[in-house]
Parts: sequence; C-alpha cells; structure tokens
Amino acid sequence: MARTLRFEALYPYPPEQVWVALVDPEAIGQWLMPNDFEARIGHRFTFHTKPAPGFDGIVQCEVIELQPPERLAYSWKGGGIDTVVRYVLAREGDNTRLVMEQSGFTGLRGLMVSKILGGGWKRMIAERLPAAAARVEAGRYRADPEAPLSGCDG
Amino acid sequence: MLMDMDGQAENAVFRALADPTRRALLSMLGDEALPVSALTDHFDMSQPAISQHLKVLRDAGLVSERRAGRNRIYALDPEPLRHAAEWLERHSDFWATRLDNLGRHLREKHGKDA
Repeated sequence: MARTLRFEALYPYPPEQVWVALVDPEAIGQWLMPNDFEARIGHRFTFHTKPAPGFDGIVQCEVIELQPPERLAYSWKGGGIDTVVRYVLAREGDNTRLVMEQSGFTGLRGLMVSKILGGGWKRMIAERLPAAAARVEAGRYRADPEAPLSGCDG
Repeated sequence: MLMDMDGQAENAVFRALADPTRRALLSMLGDEALPVSALTDHFDMSQPAISQHLKVLRDAGLVSERRAGRNRIYALDPEPLRHAAEWLERHSDFWATRLDNLGRHLREKHGKDA
C-alpha cells in the first residue's frame, strides 16, 4: 500500500544546480545531514545526526535511482522506519520544481500518514488532535497516499 | 524520525486499529463515553463480541474503562494516537526545514535572491 509523505518546493535555479546540491556529499551535509553519499546505484551510505531516545542517530541508505538531473532515490532506514526517499526535479523556465516524497511507512505511522493526512479521520483529529489538524487544514502537508507521482514506479 | 513508542506498543495500537468494528467503536467513543450496552446497540453483534473488541482496544491503550454501578463505561484515550501524530508532525517539520535549508544553500552558493 502506498503511504507517502510529499513535499514540494520551487527553487530559482536550474535543475543542474539543484541536482549538484542533491548529490554532492558536502552540499548534502550543509542542507540535510553529514553523510558519505556517492552518486552511483547500489552505493550504501549513512546519514549521521544527534542520537535521541529510540534512535541511534544513524540513517542507513542505499542509492536505488539515479537519473541526473531529474530523479534521485535512496532507501532510508533508521529510528524505527524503513522507507524510500525520492526527489523528482522538473524544469520550470529558469527554476526547478522539486518534489520530495518519502514512501513505505508501515504500522501506526503508515496509518497516520495514509488516514490522517489523507483526511480519512479528520473528524476524530479535529476533536482530539487539534494541533495536527490545524496543520492539515492549513495545507501545510501534502500527502497523497493513493496516487504516487506519475511514472514514479517506472 | 525519532521514535516515541516502542515497536511493540505501536504494533498493538496498529493491530487494534486494523479492524473496522474497532475503528467504529473508537469513532463513537470520540463523541462521548458510553456503556457497553449503548455500544452494542449500534452493531449487529453480541455483547460478548463487542466486549472482546473493547478488550483489544483497552490492551492497546486506546480505550479506558471505569465502573459505574453495574455498568462499565468506556472512553477514548487518544494518547497513543497523539504520540503517532506528534511523531509525524516532527518528522514532517524535519523535512520542511531541510528543504528550506536547501534553498538557503543554493542561495549562498549561487548568490541569487529567492
């Protein structure tokens, strides 16, 4: 079942420049986390961050999709989740629209992603989880559990 | 990506929520605390069957029970759901912040205003 968290951002730079920021380890370290990423399919790498209760601060990853300057995906395992993070870059004039998706949530979190962000349990959330509901109402989250981006699985 | 509940507790909650009758029970209890008889009236099921579902919800920490005379009154305990929702909120904040960072990184490197 597709349970996908989705973010979208528009950057005033061409895809080639945004791509470099997604695959250069030093650049990734600046905006995401310290890492030993290499731009080749099958490369296993880790992100390191501050440990927290129930999370040793290490995210285990493997590059599974690499198509410059358009598509990048790696597995993302750590802190109790086993997911895939995928970036899709689209040129819009001189700009780049970046869609970032994290998919494969299971268990209660998967249910939260698919039901709550999908709107299924809105009434219960509205009554019981006002903070989360306010964010959903504000459209801050874009979760589309049933419809992954076209071509994403190709 | 932090983990609040241990995996076992989370799985108990997930299993409890996987059943449509139990979700319907939670939804009703979301409106008000009710005795098992009032809950049973809404389902084409025996009271023992409903009680069994309530036990699963109680074991998962989603429902609390108190006695009032001869009745047992059930109430929703949203704490496990709140934990999961809060985790998801933090996780989403993590990515939202990182994508903002990416914009700042690009700006610093290529020197153009967003």
